[in-house]
Amino acid sequence: MNNKRLNRRAFLMTGAASGLALLAACAPPAAPAAPAAPAEPAKATEAPKAAEPTKAPDAAPAAPAAPRTIGENEADAITFWTPGGSAAYCAGFDVISKQFAEANPGMKVGGVQCGAGDQQFLEVFLARVAAGNPPDVSIIWDSPVSLAARGALEPIDDLMKGSKYSAVENWPAGLLSSCQYQGKTYGLPVAAGTYGMYFNETLFEKKGISTKREDFPKTWADLRKLSKEFTVWNGDKLEQTGFAPWAPDMVQMNIFAALNGGQFYDSAANKFTMDSAQNIEMMQFFLDWINEEYKGDLTALLNSANWGFYTDGNGRPPMWQAGKMAMQSDGFWVSGDMYGVELKPEAQKWNVAQYPVGPSGKGTKSGYWPNWMVVPKGAKKRDDGFKYADYIAGKGIEVWFSAVPDLPANKLVSTDLLPKKVVEMRGEAFAKDVMTFFRGQLDVATPMWNSPVQNFANDQITRVLEQVYTKKTTPKDALAAAQVACQTELEKVLKA
Amino acid sequence: MAVQAITPPAVKRRKMSEMRRREAVAGLVFVLPWLLSLIIFTAYPVLASLYYSFTEYAITQAPRWIGLDNYVNMFTQDTAMSTAVYNTLYYTFLSVPVSLLSSLLIALVLNLNVKGIGLYRTLFYLPSLAPPVAGAIIFIIMFYPDGGLVNGVLQFFGIKGPSWFLDWRYAKIGLIILSLWGVGSSSLIFLAGLKDIPAELKEAASIDGATAWQRFWSITIPLLTPVILYNLVMGVIGSFQILSAAIVIGGTTGKPQESLLMYMVHLYRTAFRYFNMGYASAMAVVLFVVILVATLLIFRSTRSWVFYESEGR
Repeated sequence: MNNKRLNRRAFLMTGAASGLALLAACAPPAAPAAPAAPAEPAKATEAPKAAEPTKAPDAAPAAPAAPRTIGENEADAITFWTPGGSAAYCAGFDVISKQFAEANPGMKVGGVQCGAGDQQFLEVFLARVAAGNPPDVSIIWDSPVSLAARGALEPIDDLMKGSKYSAVENWPAGLLSSCQYQGKTYGLPVAAGTYGMYFNETLFEKKGISTKREDFPKTWADLRKLSKEFTVWNGDKLEQTGFAPWAPDMVQMNIFAALNGGQFYDSAANKFTMDSAQNIEMMQFFLDWINEEYKGDLTALLNSANWGFYTDGNGRPPMWQAGKMAMQSDGFWVSGDMYGVELKPEAQKWNVAQYPVGPSGKGTKSGYWPNWMVVPKGAKKRDDGFKYADYIAGKGIEVWFSAVPDLPANKLVSTDLLPKKVVEMRGEAFAKDVMTFFRGQLDVATPMWNSPVQNFANDQITRVLEQVYTKKTTPKDALAAAQVACQTELEKVLKA
Repeated sequence: MAVQAITPPAVKRRKMSEMRRREAVAGLVFVLPWLLSLIIFTAYPVLASLYYSFTEYAITQAPRWIGLDNYVNMFTQDTAMSTAVYNTLYYTFLSVPVSLLSSLLIALVLNLNVKGIGLYRTLFYLPSLAPPVAGAIIFIIMFYPDGGLVNGVLQFFGIKGPSWFLDWRYAKIGLIILSLWGVGSSSLIFLAGLKDIPAELKEAASIDGATAWQRFWSITIPLLTPVILYNLVMGVIGSFQILSAAIVIGGTTGKPQESLLMYMVHLYRTAFRYFNMGYASAMAVVLFVVILVATLLIFRSTRSWVFYESEGR
């Protein structure tokens, strides 16, 4: 038997050596994982994140990307992050980066960092910027203006001037405003789903109403009149809606404000205009509508069914697919995503139209929900990072679109792109018409997502909607309170 | 009489022997990982939070000293604060007693000598292992107004169930019921306390003619008060910090109608949605003080209701 005793010093040294060996063994591999090929878009399985500018991307059962440690990359490669998304969406970026490297010899992009694991993406992103170790380029789902106001992003105007796709004139002005702060541009709105009015052609035809796009109501008054034709009550149970005025969320309220000649934020004057006469009129119009046509009890309306296009958080199936909604406002992505839930025969024929105008409005408008690309402050490869963003904006977006049909915003992007699901379900001609319609909506997009306190303002609008529709307070008082809160918050940021 | 000045004998400091010194160093080396972790990951963030609470700080820019402005704004300008405080107090004052009673009842049942009791104990404890987010999602489905399990059962008894998480009047009640999902762990602590109560005390009381209720009220409860104190303190601290379930169900706006806007939800969104880390730090400091005061008040009250057998009080 070996009686040799281990003294304390030897024990500690052995322990330390074993610990180091263990740490070394557990370290992540240096090389990024092999890219997976993008898959065909399929039904949406991811619900949109509340208050974040992303749509439910098509989640095809593509091979999932290998787990990647944040920041893991080759030293000479461009580091690229995106807040998350389906496997198909993430895998698509591996293809784009490969194509980018082929088009730009000598440059390469590391594997995409898709999401931040168990952590919130923005927390990690901001922490990295603060630590001086951010990615070279990133997609973000928070308004670039609000991040730029806090010094988290690089201005890119100089780079845009000499770029292949991203010169100012190649972006719809309403969209680029979401990236502009105090005269500088801090991002590119590479993909931006625009909004429009969806309507059920079968329900229209049954009532003998024209389904021509140009015959769709041109004013809110006409829309309200038409809505009444379709709304069906069975006692106290709402069975079918014409247009559900309580359904538009805080993002869509920006569009309705613009349709009534107003806005929530005036970026030129650095001032919120929540309680403008037009906005009070708009809220009052919707409230009166809910009272008159929908018996005025918001809780009962919300409980009655899921008046939307997606299965809701309570697992309730959407009523659009059941053919129980005649008209509703929503974004481009719905045109493909709606097929994620089986459409009843009476819901299969649908179309889209431009928004009717409010009593104080001057013309139709639209809005958008973008995916922005930004170069974070302190990016080691600022120019290369921008070059990759520029490539995605003009060319890589085609692969992105094939994986997840997010609407390209850059004017130089091919007009041949068609959403495959719509082609499959409704034919190529209809898909082309829908695509042209939503790309046309980019030109009438109202400036939005352009406040330095965007998330705060969004939450305030949500609060206004709830308080007004549940009659806790009047539109005037609710908007006045939101105005004070938003302006106070804004001034704090501007002062800082 | 002459007073003689007395000089205290000089205390000679004993020099540490080489062996003891080496032992001390070795001990320090052993505790160093824990010590470093405490300093870097606990002490530093706590002190940094305190400092940031006096600043305007947006993470990506250097903090700017603004004195007490954050604290003043909290009590004078923040319109959401009163709602968040009310919701949190409502939740705390209802969920803590309900959780304590439920876990005590479960522990009493688990203390019965019935066949397969080990299995029951495991079953009651299992939900505590589930992540809070998963628990919240399960409850959303269970509390679904039209066709959910809870309203289905109520309907069976002829009762029309409320809309729970879709109705501001019932959302907090739903959240309180959800808090019962995790009572398994406090039940086990109660169970350990019940097992510690000497059987001879109850036997003696039985011989003296005490009823089951008298034995429970005069023997079990007094001897269980230290455990009740522990669960009470932990419950109060936990309920003030309710976040995951509230944010999963109500989002960052506390839907419906801010009924689920808890203090921690407001703090979280202030920090990571509004990028106002300085103000969020001030909120964290206030929460810390409130929890500290609540805990001290509870401890101060123990003289009148907690019985420590070893101290005879």
